[in-house]
Amino acid sequence: MEYLVFVIRKLAGGIPLVLGVTLISFTLMVYFGPDQTYELLSKNPTAEEIAQVRSELGYDQPFWIRYSDYLVDLVTLDFGYSNATGERVAGILARTVPISMALLAPGFVLGNVLGIALGLLAAWHRGGWVDKAIMGFAVVGMSISFLVVIIAFQVLFGVVLDWFPVRGWNVHDLSSYLYYVTVPTLASVFVALGYNTRFFRAVLVEEMTRDHVRTARAFGAAPAVILWRGVLMNAMIPIITRIMFSIPLIVISGSLLIETYFGIPGVGKVTFDAITSGDQPVLKAVVGLTAIGFVLILITNDILYKWVDPRISLTRESAA
Amino acid sequence: MSLPEIDLGAGADARLEPADRLRRRSPWSRAAGRFSTDRAAVTGLVVVTVFFVVALGVWLGWWGGNWAETGGGQWQSPSAENWLGTTILGQDIFARAVYSTRTAFEIGLVVAISSTLLGGLFGAISGYFAHSPVDAAILWLKGVLDSIPFYLFVAAVAFALDGQPFAMHIAMIATFWTTTARLVRGEVIKLKRLEFVEAARSVGLATPRIIARHIVPNTFHILLVQATIVFVAAIKSEVILSFLGLGVQDGVSWGLMIAESTTEVIAGRYWNFIAASSFMFVLVMGFNLFADGLQDALDPKRAGR
Amino acid sequence: MSERLLEVEDLSVEFATEGGVIRAVEEVSFGIDRGATLGIVGESGCGKSVTSLALMGLLPRPAGRVVGGSVRFDGAELIGLDESRLRKLRGSEISMVFQEPLTALNPVYTIGRQIAEVARRHLGLSRSRARERAIEMLARVGIPLPDRRIDEYPHELSGGMRQRAMIAMALVCRPKLLIADEPTTALDVTTQAQVLEQIVTLQREFGTAVILITHDLGVVAETCRDALVMYCGEIVERAATEHLFNTPRHRYTQRLLEAMPRIRSRPLTSLPVIPGSVPEPDRLPSGCRFAPRCAHSGSRCELERPRLQRLEDSDVACFYPANVEADGAAT
Repeated sequence: MEYLVFVIRKLAGGIPLVLGVTLISFTLMVYFGPDQTYELLSKNPTAEEIAQVRSELGYDQPFWIRYSDYLVDLVTLDFGYSNATGERVAGILARTVPISMALLAPGFVLGNVLGIALGLLAAWHRGGWVDKAIMGFAVVGMSISFLVVIIAFQVLFGVVLDWFPVRGWNVHDLSSYLYYVTVPTLASVFVALGYNTRFFRAVLVEEMTRDHVRTARAFGAAPAVILWRGVLMNAMIPIITRIMFSIPLIVISGSLLIETYFGIPGVGKVTFDAITSGDQPVLKAVVGLTAIGFVLILITNDILYKWVDPRISLTRESAA
Repeated sequence: MSLPEIDLGAGADARLEPADRLRRRSPWSRAAGRFSTDRAAVTGLVVVTVFFVVALGVWLGWWGGNWAETGGGQWQSPSAENWLGTTILGQDIFARAVYSTRTAFEIGLVVAISSTLLGGLFGAISGYFAHSPVDAAILWLKGVLDSIPFYLFVAAVAFALDGQPFAMHIAMIATFWTTTARLVRGEVIKLKRLEFVEAARSVGLATPRIIARHIVPNTFHILLVQATIVFVAAIKSEVILSFLGLGVQDGVSWGLMIAESTTEVIAGRYWNFIAASSFMFVLVMGFNLFADGLQDALDPKRAGR
Repeated sequence: MSERLLEVEDLSVEFATEGGVIRAVEEVSFGIDRGATLGIVGESGCGKSVTSLALMGLLPRPAGRVVGGSVRFDGAELIGLDESRLRKLRGSEISMVFQEPLTALNPVYTIGRQIAEVARRHLGLSRSRARERAIEMLARVGIPLPDRRIDEYPHELSGGMRQRAMIAMALVCRPKLLIADEPTTALDVTTQAQVLEQIVTLQREFGTAVILITHDLGVVAETCRDALVMYCGEIVERAATEHLFNTPRHRYTQRLLEAMPRIRSRPLTSLPVIPGSVPEPDRLPSGCRFAPRCAHSGSRCELERPRLQRLEDSDVACFYPANVEADGAAT
């Protein structure tokens, strides 16, 4: 019951956030965005035709009306039709979002799991050569641009080795899925691993130097027990936060680049096309959903906090 | 048990150590000492300095100015005239890579300094007035900016500012200040609870003074480290933004060079790609090593020493 | 089964630091009988905590190392013993209680869980039996409503209760030796007295030997049968507490006792302090380490390091010890 109240409170608290995001995005992208009047008209438009199109597009309405229309659309999930393809935006999303998820999930999971494992290894042997080697690789990984990695992998796997496809997404079963997802996964893990490992290592080292770890040793706990109960459990909060907050980053930014480059029809590519062509309905939908998604992530994050650390109170945000 | 009364003997003081002979080293000088023994960190610093000099030289017009000249012949391999070959338009790749160093530093410094200052300011205010409406407002702003996907945000800002050259910088600053602010806020909340703040308040110091003179200086190490991290992030982001067409509009940057090369590499024209990615890799790697060394020097526990 | 439970001989510990290697503990020798109480007294940094950590093999790796000496516990040599055997001893035969219980206890587990875990690990008890035992121990250490408290987290208890919980955890397996490192320093005076009393009571009930590490001579006076005084990593005096307080031999001990705040017959004009300050660990004086601050030192003190020597009822490392028989005047 306590959890339910908590969730509702958080959802309510998330409304200003959603409003804020949608307001800023709407202002930037839609209001200041490209004027599409002329896209929809023929060569020599008359004044009436111009006025008609403008009214259709809603450009003649005042700002707040346009904004509230937008919010209404958002809440009722009425995203209209894409300017570019004429397809229902909802349909576009339904088609592309699952592809993006399937594309990014393995990389995300692998990147974090490996990151924690390597971070743990490095932290446990801190100061030793294992630690230095892992950290060395991490720094190198961090110093290479994602784009460079993608291009390099494309050349490596597509041209030189020809083991995996580097374009397209012809997935109909598990084996073709693995076939197509390998290169993008390798690329995103490569790039994320450096950052992840370093972060997790830092968090773990911090926890390892705490007094209660010394106490656990003083009472004869085996290293595995110390690592699990003393270090990992206490490190959960920063780890969870990090993982949760990396989701928006991965999902949008990661997918944008990979899909655009590898020609995979996911939501990132669609969004990118929408940006460059100024396809407002699509943009509005993506931004709105992103905002809501972010709020959901925040709430999940807080719930996970409480589950993991008994010092956090659900009922009030205590400063002490 | 009764305790004996002892007479203070004479002559005890003659062999004592005068207090001024005791070694005193401030945290900063100790950090500098630690930094200087860290070979990787020093290497990083040297690399960054070298690149900085290159960038400075471009800015002062000493070299790299010929990056746009198209006289070299198309897609030449590296030669004595064109150390790294030429582009599709016959431009000298090496000169372009050198010029891009300036672009990179410009973006990096502008974004790093601005976002760090902004983040520090907002973070300090937010943290000091934690859980108040002011804090809530700043947190709301942070949340909003964090939840807008970075590339969409840059695109949106670029459109809204209608092709202004600093659109990218502004978008980056608006995105990157949030992490700094969050870290500073956390630190300030911790600092606030420490006794020295209570002591300052009890002596009657005004709030702004407490924030400025006592709390903020204790966040400098965070600001310094964050600035270096943002610098790297800015440079790396520029690459992707330029690829998407949202980045540097005039001039040349590593991002633009790499973007150009995406179609070229398939045809076997690697030099543009190699030049830009190598230059960038070395600078970023150097900066990362430097940043690491900085963090380790300022907080030795971090390295697990 | 001999009387002697723990025999430490010439134990030396070094630390690798930014500035080089420092010797934190220099050839320290002492022992404790079964069921006895020993206090280790000294200022911060004198090496008393390091000594206790070294005993249990808990020196922070990789910086700290034992570089010499032996520690024989119940007949077995602990120095060099492999980690898995040491683990079996820790918490079951030798236990340690630390200074700051809030950070010493794991914040994300209940105290019941933490105590029960120790019991399960070393005594092989089932979950329910271990829990019962934990509740029993909590009651023994004087925590009211132990069956409720057992499911609370460390941050939900007061400082005194947290420390009692730590003691419960330390004694749940009835160890032969309890090392208490400044157990009451972080507590207020009233709680201090209660917790100390608790330690003494349990010590007698269980027959546990206790090494009490503290900077507070008063604590030693109340709880320990024997005491040793450390300065700059060395033992400077070793005696039964009674003798230490009545006839202090080492000049440092004298000064410490002088400096203890107490009610006097005549008001003082100035507070007695020990002139000078403790030398930095990397710039220790050659010869006697206390000599620069000592009013009674001679030329021999700067050249030679004094070793512990028997002087009537005490062992003292001093060339010019106090000889208080000669009617109160120090020679």
